[in-house]
Amino acid sequence: MTALEKALTEFKEVEHAAQGKSLLHSVDARAKTVVVFLYIIAVLSVGLDALQGILLFWVFPIVGCAMGGISYGEVLKKSLYTLPFIAFIGVFNPLFQREPELYVGSVAISRGWVEFVSILVRGLLSVQMVLVLIMTTGFYRVCRGLGKMKMPAVFTTQLLLVYRYIYVLVEEAIDMDRARKSRSYGRKGYSLKMWGTFVGQLLIRTVNRAQRIHLAMLSRGFSGGLPSMGSMRWRLSDTVFVAAGVLLFAACRLLDVNLIFNHMRI
Amino acid sequence: MHMADALVSPGVAGVAAAVSVTLLVVSARKVKKSANENLVPLMGVMGAFVFAAQMINFTIPGTGSSGHIVGGILLGALLGPWAAFLTLASVLVVQCLIFADGGLMALGCNLLNMGVCSTLIAYPLVYRPIAGGGQKAWRIVAGAIAASIVGLELGALLVTAETELSGVTALPAKEFLGLMTSIHFFIGIGEGIATAAVLYFVRLYQPALLSGYRIEKGLGAGNYKKAALVFLGIAVVLGVAFAWIASSYPDGLEWSISKITGATDLPATGAAVAHTIASVQKSTSLLPDYESTWSGIIGCAIVVALVWVVCALFTKKHAA
Repeated sequence: MTALEKALTEFKEVEHAAQGKSLLHSVDARAKTVVVFLYIIAVLSVGLDALQGILLFWVFPIVGCAMGGISYGEVLKKSLYTLPFIAFIGVFNPLFQREPELYVGSVAISRGWVEFVSILVRGLLSVQMVLVLIMTTGFYRVCRGLGKMKMPAVFTTQLLLVYRYIYVLVEEAIDMDRARKSRSYGRKGYSLKMWGTFVGQLLIRTVNRAQRIHLAMLSRGFSGGLPSMGSMRWRLSDTVFVAAGVLLFAACRLLDVNLIFNHMRI
Repeated sequence: MHMADALVSPGVAGVAAAVSVTLLVVSARKVKKSANENLVPLMGVMGAFVFAAQMINFTIPGTGSSGHIVGGILLGALLGPWAAFLTLASVLVVQCLIFADGGLMALGCNLLNMGVCSTLIAYPLVYRPIAGGGQKAWRIVAGAIAASIVGLELGALLVTAETELSGVTALPAKEFLGLMTSIHFFIGIGEGIATAAVLYFVRLYQPALLSGYRIEKGLGAGNYKKAALVFLGIAVVLGVAFAWIASSYPDGLEWSISKITGATDLPATGAAVAHTIASVQKSTSLLPDYESTWSGIIGCAIVVALVWVVCALFTKKHAA
């Protein structure tokens, strides 16, 4: 069951990156979340046939990685994993939109293919920005930020609890799977019946664990919400960060890159 | 079924986010009001459980391929609709943020498609009436399968509607819907049988779990009319909002115009200023239109490559 082990590694990687120190790490989680939202809105609002309008937005995740001290290659690699599903939906466009849009020499590229590439680029860019956000902020601070932005406490507590227990439960599932593998003499895969027993077993262990955890939490003074670690203060630099984001995204969105680069005779 | 940001327009994503955040707030209130104080930690651990269970694949008989569950009906049967929705939502948020599984902008859509459809619609309206109090095993099995199919089909319907209204895919709505609903019918059967298998096991070894923790208030089986009215209301609001977006959103409109007229050289960017400049340029420029598009693409690519190189150099220096 490599999927579970892979997931655990991924969690640890993100957590490790989020503990670094950089310019972007020091920006308030709320400011970063808002800027990433604005970025994705700006990217998604570009028409599909305007490939040149989207490409310029590629600059931001690269700069974000540089500001956050994380490797862009790593972020690019992670974002590529999300391509297949996007490609599955996008691949129909070349079938239905056959009018020529671009020419390479005398070979025509149809509008559908341009749209297909646009969809892929949109997908990559939005995923990359979310990765930059989480890798420079960490799950804990993003949730705290959401809480400060009036997300109900029940839900933010839930998010933090789930995040914490995923480590525990994934490890438990890995242990159970290993035990089962060592007893099954090379039989691979779970038949539905065995899967039901396995997952049911995991569920009952989970619930028993939840009861123990709850008692432990109560005895340590749990009253429905998780205490906050460290303060979260909005500084002037956070306002500047958001303002800069808004200005840059608006500029990129309204710029006619065809016109500019045409004049530069590219 | 996780939708990526690339497949939605900001308008559609915004409406979906507004609806699902409202439902999140409502669910949070219901959970907060419940007297069961063990519910909060149970929800936390159950979320983590669903996350882990989604990664354990079962083999699909006769096909050689494998599948996994989403877990909406399972959570509903153990926690009740409101807590189940919050729990599934938290799993979707973790998947979106850590694994980039489903976009941040499309999170609202994903909460609706995968969370609301199964926990707040299929569970109370299909699973509860069929399964009843869980006294009979065959009723649990039938309820789980029927509710999983209904939940996934509704989700597939919403995915189609959201993608088509976003104007991203060129696949006609009818074909897209046919494709999505037929795929998800079979996925629904798989999800249903797997859910039933787990519930059957739980009923055998810890039957108290199937009755002890749920909060059903407000969405119980006896509350058909109220629930139906709520969802009818949401559907009307969604319909009006989508219609409004479709008529006021320039890029979507542009897309449909170009599709109707077959013209491919409509101005790319939505902004009016850019439009005028572009038309002036078009009348003065000797270059054909397609070459100007190429120069835009190539120019951007050069800028991006330069920025990457500069950033790479800068960060290496920084690290050393």
